[in-house]
Amino acid sequence: MPDTSSDTIEHLQLEIVPQRLLKPETAQALLNGILGLEGVIRLFVHGPRLPGTVPYGPAKGTAMTHNSRRLIEIEGNMVELVVSVGSIRLEVEDADVKEQVHEICEKILPFPFEFREGNFMLRRQTVSGYARFGPDQNPLLVGLTDPKGKLRDQVCILKKE
Amino acid sequence: MAYKPQYYPGATSVAANRRKHMSGDVEKLREISEDDLVMVLGHRPPGSDYRSTHPPLAEMGEPECSIRQTVEPTPGAKAGDRVRYVQFVDSMYNGTSVPYFRTYNAAINFRGVDPGTLSGRQVIEARERDMEEVAKFQIETEMFDPALSSLRGATVHGHSLRLPEDGVMFDMLDRARLESDGIVKMHKDQVGRPIDKKVELGKPMSAKEAAKRTTIYRVDNVAFRSDTEVLEWVHRVFDQRTKYGFKPE
Repeated sequence: MPDTSSDTIEHLQLEIVPQRLLKPETAQALLNGILGLEGVIRLFVHGPRLPGTVPYGPAKGTAMTHNSRRLIEIEGNMVELVVSVGSIRLEVEDADVKEQVHEICEKILPFPFEFREGNFMLRRQTVSGYARFGPDQNPLLVGLTDPKGKLRDQVCILKKE
Repeated sequence: MAYKPQYYPGATSVAANRRKHMSGDVEKLREISEDDLVMVLGHRPPGSDYRSTHPPLAEMGEPECSIRQTVEPTPGAKAGDRVRYVQFVDSMYNGTSVPYFRTYNAAINFRGVDPGTLSGRQVIEARERDMEEVAKFQIETEMFDPALSSLRGATVHGHSLRLPEDGVMFDMLDRARLESDGIVKMHKDQVGRPIDKKVELGKPMSAKEAAKRTTIYRVDNVAFRSDTEVLEWVHRVFDQRTKYGFKPE
């Protein structure tokens, strides 16, 4: 039976959960530190959403600017941070890179954090992902986006090659 | 000998704080002016009259009723005010007053209030001026910490999230911010509408102070299981509730 996995190489997946939600400045420093390493394949940030308008209640629809919703510079690209960074999940090539990521976290985060290895991102397409993106989806994008969402709102491709 | 309510069992600081909140015997820590309070509640413009839903009771000619004669109406009911609400959210990271104890405080110490207790938020409905009295009391005393408690009429989530780096409970609508002078200021009302001026809520409590004043049991502060007297009473309540609910037909 053929392997239906989009990514047949077993990379390590890591999760970093700081004790506090990160300020945009700390998030920028940490992300730049991690993305500066060779061997980081893909990464996503996770946390409570920072909306552009009031989502419910009597003030619903009122435009607002959250103090933490800012443009941050990642590897020379300006990216709008639309969540308050609560955890970072990433895929790296091997255990050496994992150690380097841990060192960067220790250097940048001023408070304790959890650092674990596990399965945090899809390694193969789901049925709904297949239905939405077809058989030729870029393996790097598998599991990074909501099949119903717009790609450009959710993914930032830093290394164009 | 006059009866003295005991309110809550337990020998730990959390149990003592729970007793304080229930009895209303809490320390006053800050001042909030009437106008500032009205501004953050967002029900009427500061300085304006209370709007009413019916004429004052004195003008209405109430029917003959022994209960009406016995119970003095609250000032808000007497004037015919609208029913309005205030809603508080307290962080699980040693927030000062967990929802049940805000409710006990309002229900025991104030008349004409309708407190609603939810898992992460607590709402008090009452005639507008009565509600303002409760809100002022709870904000000005140790029942409120500018960093770990918040006035949130809508979009309340944040109480169960990790704290942001500055220690001010996460708020999706960013109603209160810790400014560079170390004071937490609200620049929106409780539902997230911008207000004309920043309302100062005061300095946040230190982590040590918050741990001392909290009414929440936490394993990393005062563990629930360490309070044997509370545990004994909780077991007793559950035991009796189960037995009395057992009705073999």
